[in-house]
Amino acid sequence: MISPFQIAYKNLLRDRVRTLLTLGGIMLASWVLVSLLGFNRGYERALDHDIDNMGYQLMVMAKGCPYEAATLMLQGGTGLRYIERSMVDSISREPEVEQATPILMQAYFDPNKGESGGIAGYFGVEAATFPAMKLFYRFRKGGWFQNENAAEVVMGFEAAELEQREVGDMTLVPEKNVQLKVVGILERTGTQDDGTIFVPLKTLQNISETDKITTIGIRVKKGADVAGLEGRLYQLPNVQVVSFSQVKQTIMTLVSTTRVMVFSIAVIALLIAMAGVANTVLMSVVERLQEIGVLKTMGAMPSDIFLLVWTETLILCTGGGIAGVGLAFAFARGADALARRVLPYAPKGGLVEIDLKLALLTIGVVGVVGLLSGAYPAWKAGRVRPLETIRSAV
Amino acid sequence: MTSQKGITLEARGLRRTYQRGTEEIHALDGVSLKIQEADFISFTGPSGSGKTTLVNLLGCLDNPTAGELDLDSRRIFGGGKIVSERKLTRIRREVFGYIFQNFYLIPTLTVRENVTLPLAFYRKPGTDGEAEKLLSMLGLEHRMNHLPGEISGGEMQRASIARALINRPKILLADEPTGSLDTKRTMEIGEVLRHLNRSAGLTIVMVTHNANLAKLAGRVIEMRDGRAHEG
Amino acid sequence: MKEQAVAISGAPGKGFFQALFLLFLMAVPAWAATGCDLNSPDRDVPRLFPESTRYRSNYVSLRADQLRSVVARLGESFRVLYDPLNVPYTIYEIYNGSEKVGYIHGVNQKGQFGGIQVFVALDLAGRIKSFYIQKMSGQWAGKFRDTEFGRRFLGISLKDFDSFDPVSGKGSGRLAKIRNPAPEMETDFYGVLRALKKNLILMDELVYSTKRQNP
Repeated sequence: MISPFQIAYKNLLRDRVRTLLTLGGIMLASWVLVSLLGFNRGYERALDHDIDNMGYQLMVMAKGCPYEAATLMLQGGTGLRYIERSMVDSISREPEVEQATPILMQAYFDPNKGESGGIAGYFGVEAATFPAMKLFYRFRKGGWFQNENAAEVVMGFEAAELEQREVGDMTLVPEKNVQLKVVGILERTGTQDDGTIFVPLKTLQNISETDKITTIGIRVKKGADVAGLEGRLYQLPNVQVVSFSQVKQTIMTLVSTTRVMVFSIAVIALLIAMAGVANTVLMSVVERLQEIGVLKTMGAMPSDIFLLVWTETLILCTGGGIAGVGLAFAFARGADALARRVLPYAPKGGLVEIDLKLALLTIGVVGVVGLLSGAYPAWKAGRVRPLETIRSAV
Repeated sequence: MTSQKGITLEARGLRRTYQRGTEEIHALDGVSLKIQEADFISFTGPSGSGKTTLVNLLGCLDNPTAGELDLDSRRIFGGGKIVSERKLTRIRREVFGYIFQNFYLIPTLTVRENVTLPLAFYRKPGTDGEAEKLLSMLGLEHRMNHLPGEISGGEMQRASIARALINRPKILLADEPTGSLDTKRTMEIGEVLRHLNRSAGLTIVMVTHNANLAKLAGRVIEMRDGRAHEG
Repeated sequence: MKEQAVAISGAPGKGFFQALFLLFLMAVPAWAATGCDLNSPDRDVPRLFPESTRYRSNYVSLRADQLRSVVARLGESFRVLYDPLNVPYTIYEIYNGSEKVGYIHGVNQKGQFGGIQVFVALDLAGRIKSFYIQKMSGQWAGKFRDTEFGRRFLGISLKDFDSFDPVSGKGSGRLAKIRNPAPEMETDFYGVLRALKKNLILMDELVYSTKRQNP
């Protein structure tokens, strides 16, 4: 005995081209929708991961533009001016502070990098305090500096890869022509530290002929009043405080415009696809009015006919939704790459995160919207009066 | 297939009037008749004589403008009340099976699927296995898995007869059942109907232009200007 | 100094340098070819290949048999520091209109103070049309990046290495006549020559030998 589901499914096979085109529209709309929802989730998670992997929750640096500070910090940029090394000690005495570490960022112009030269950047850090901030660091080879004045470097994985350095090799600081020995190469961390060259702070200060620093990294105690600490730090002269929750807010605000726009496009795509569904099903009902009339003579109640037509809508939407989600899974990497090209800042890690739950949610949304759009054609079919539709030669 | 015994259909003064613009068309003008169990009635007459209108009322496909219709002493139409489509559907599926000139088989379903289609909406007890019996009786067992587009017109009409009979109706209504068929297949279908009437006692009400087909029926009623004339 | 790696993983990672004064390098994404890529192909290709009107980037990997052949032809180990051996190499196909006119390809070589990236532009016969060191570290690295030094390689092909060994520095022919522009960086001078030989052998394996087999 044939079931109503089979009847509905076979009805869709009557005009395969039309069915495929309608499915195609739903598939594309679903693809966009699930990719976008995956991006919304993945971006924030990747950003959280990047920020967590900074190791410290607050940074103090010389006053400058917050956007620059936010993005440059996460990209490995620096503040524009120097601050006194002594500020580290005063900050360390704050009750909420677990650890403070001084950092000097310097850059030198290397005329032999690229066609017209490039910048070589260095991070001066204290061997005594910095590694404790980055406990998740693992060394591929070697280890941290032996002392604070050593003519040594520790390289992030990608920095070492670019320079083809192994532990024991030498590097040269351009402009200053100072040779430093590679004593450690880190495993990949998935953060901007992969591209960083770390030098003992005092060594870099000597090379740069300064006793100042550019940044102080601060790790706060668990449960500490971070807002209170921030407030006091802001009282320090000529500095700004960058909190990574602020950084995250800033970046999310920058990105949110893009997200809203893309979300609108996804919604519009979905609505257009659903209009296509409504049109397809309505056309199919109009073409089958006589047949529907005959079904009613066989004993089909109006609700039976309504459900039959609605089932056709459900099959279209679910099928298109599943296909769209399948495409999203298959092309998640491509979507990730596209997002990276377009965005002002893209954290490391997957930007488009699609899992089973999200896939089911998308299929559910598409199904519900589809059922709404199929309600009118189904109602119209249910109201068919057999006599008005069945014609015979009299 | 067996029909239910003892059904009578009694029409008294059935009228049906349509409005066409400003004109009133009296398609039926007070028709009274009685149909008993195992009757095979053929309605003939020229186009516009009201035969299809009458059969539509007898088959509960439409409400009359006036008049009464009783089904086995149960009042269906009368007292000027309009019977809802929902109620008419319930009556139809209990009592009637229908076949039409254009077969109306669903092109994407096989013959077997078309025959069992009514069971998807309503199923009387004891209809298990009925499809195979009907298809065999009507000589369609070798066409069970074919699509309508792959069989002849006569086979399509036999398939629609099987579909009409799947829920063991009491009355079979056939509106120009051979209108789309050639002479040979017309007589084949006529024989099928006569066989169903004589061997299974099925009550059949048929509308036809075809005089030879009409003669196969036990009673022939001629319709003229909305009135019935039984010869 | 013994010959070291031939790592074809020149693409820098994201967030690589911390720029003090706003400029920072945007790195090539990790999923692109990890061989040696031009920093800015749109700008570099016309400079290295003046008659080009367009280019196409191809990503090609060495098969196991090709790798064995490369090692044998190099005459030294093909040790890769950071990447698996079957990393894709970026070969830029150069066109003038619809006609292919040559290739550009770069290799990474370990230098004394950092990686050396050596690019050559080759015609369809495998002869050098341009020689370009995209990156080199060292106080006198500029002398190797000078156009005068680069001009000494014009017209050189893999055949020239038949009579010259860049490991020992001994031999004859055009390569033997090229003088080290920076005696203070002797190691890197021979590193450049080894990189060039490696570049030409790789191109021969990946492109020219295929063309010879399928003309």
